[in-house]
Amino acid sequence: MPSSQNPSIAGLALDPTGVRPDLGDAEIHRVAPAEIHATLTALRAGGCTMLLDIGGVDYLGREPRYDVVYHLLAMPTAAGGIETVGRPRRVRVLVGVPGAEPALPSAVDLWPSANWAEREIFDLFGISFTGHPDLKRIQMPEGWTGHPLRKDYPLRGPAAEATPRPAFALKSNVPAGAPPAGKVAEALQRQIARARGQELPKPAGDEA
Amino acid sequence: MSVALEVVERSGNTMTLSMGPQHPSTHGVLQVKVEVAGEIVERAEMEIGYLHTGIEKSAENLFWTQASTVIERMDYLNPLGNALCYVLAVEQLLGITDRIPERAQSVRVLMSELSRIASHCVWLGTGGIDLGAISTFFYTFDIREDILALIEASGGARMHPNYLRVGGINGDLPDGFLAKLDALIVKFPQRMRELRTLLQNNPILRDRMIDVGAISPADAAGWSLTGPVLRATGVAYDVRRAFPYSGYEKYEFDVPTRTEGDAYARFLVRLEEMDESMRIIAQVRQELERPGPIMIDDPKVAQPPKETIALSMEALIHHFKIVSESFRVPPGDVYQAIESPRGELAYYVVSNGDNRPYRVRTRPPSMYNLQSLLLMAPGNLIADIVVMIGSLDPVFGEVDR
Repeated sequence: MPSSQNPSIAGLALDPTGVRPDLGDAEIHRVAPAEIHATLTALRAGGCTMLLDIGGVDYLGREPRYDVVYHLLAMPTAAGGIETVGRPRRVRVLVGVPGAEPALPSAVDLWPSANWAEREIFDLFGISFTGHPDLKRIQMPEGWTGHPLRKDYPLRGPAAEATPRPAFALKSNVPAGAPPAGKVAEALQRQIARARGQELPKPAGDEA
Repeated sequence: MSVALEVVERSGNTMTLSMGPQHPSTHGVLQVKVEVAGEIVERAEMEIGYLHTGIEKSAENLFWTQASTVIERMDYLNPLGNALCYVLAVEQLLGITDRIPERAQSVRVLMSELSRIASHCVWLGTGGIDLGAISTFFYTFDIREDILALIEASGGARMHPNYLRVGGINGDLPDGFLAKLDALIVKFPQRMRELRTLLQNNPILRDRMIDVGAISPADAAGWSLTGPVLRATGVAYDVRRAFPYSGYEKYEFDVPTRTEGDAYARFLVRLEEMDESMRIIAQVRQELERPGPIMIDDPKVAQPPKETIALSMEALIHHFKIVSESFRVPPGDVYQAIESPRGELAYYVVSNGDNRPYRVRTRPPSMYNLQSLLLMAPGNLIADIVVMIGSLDPVFGEVDR
């Protein structure tokens, strides 16, 4: 069975972020790994006080292989009503991370909330963050091998080959090609008649 | 683990205790390792991931139409909100956001507000149990039961109905739905009055919650806190107001805030939010009088009505194509956020042009809110940890995914 997860299939975009239409959901920056910490520092100083989320994407077959995506929001840091909050600025920063020894500088020094988000990317994608205070697995158990959200990680885990899926049971009780008969056919005809605004006579002996 | 609270280690004046993973106050499966000196917490560390089921990985391997079934199971107290966020993201990528019928939008708002009340009912009921106020549970679950009955009537299931679809909703509201909704709208204020009488000025509850787990707006930004936890610090950020979706800009409602930032402030904000949700529901109720289409008129996205399938070859083909191989979504990525009962819930969805999502990244509000326990816990009594976790309202299906 061909896997739809294989990005080399003709017609599928290897880098969807490069061809995206402008949806206006955020202001987008794409930076190199070496510049990411300086960029984030500058954005934070420029008012993007909240790091909403860090996510990872594995574009297997592309180089750089991974994207790490930072979602920032210009949140007020003092109490204020709806008017002061307004429509805060959303910023998205994408960083391409190479497939060999993927690593990025940690953002925990800028936002303490980056702690668990970076651990999750380390756990599920195998991208390490230098300068992280406590980089270890968070969702998968300690000592797990492999990184489940990588595209080359099998859906059912490394043991998938060892436990093959049972074959589908065959519907051998329905002869192939037989037209619907009996009550099924009658119900179908009624449905068609109803949809056409006609009413079929009730079959004789149908008291129910 | 048979003992919920056990001593892991002793050294000098401090002792390390393990709360959980099956401690009743952790509202799910969470292990908190606390270093205590006497009764004062010096350091807290959390172990999550006990409920990790790989939902994001599963979603990548399902069709666009199927993925919402697993995504609904992340935040099991707000399944319709999860589905709404995902569906909105896919609609943005498809470029059909403006073509969703008005009635479908109204029903989506109705469902997400009903879910918000139901979710807050669970938070209030279980939070009451944490503090010894067991009778609260019966009052709140009575409201929740009415809401789940409404959700079941419209979607066919109490908790994961997969009722919201890309392009609209699955089937119109059934006969008698509005009468049941009216009964709830009438009954609700009385129930809220009872809850407030029972809890709001209860001296035990006030003693346990006031000044516990207080957070400043600056810390809230640094720790990515959203939702009622953020609004309890005084910042009136609500995605429904800041980035309206699904027609929220039409409705009149307030964004309740407090400035204390402690557990009691969160409690009051959530109570007021329940009232505001009911205000929105009453406005949506007026719109539901008008009949109208509930699904986008686009056979490439919406399944044709069942009765046309036996009559029209074209309808049969479209039905077959959508069921057997779903639709394709143009390549691109989008960040779509909604206001879930816990805060900003968002999906970062990437499509590479295939009939399955390439990546569905969740922004789990529970996870970030829960993480702030690392900041709140030190220097407080160990008994207060229970109150803090309750006030953050984490849902572990969403934290672990």
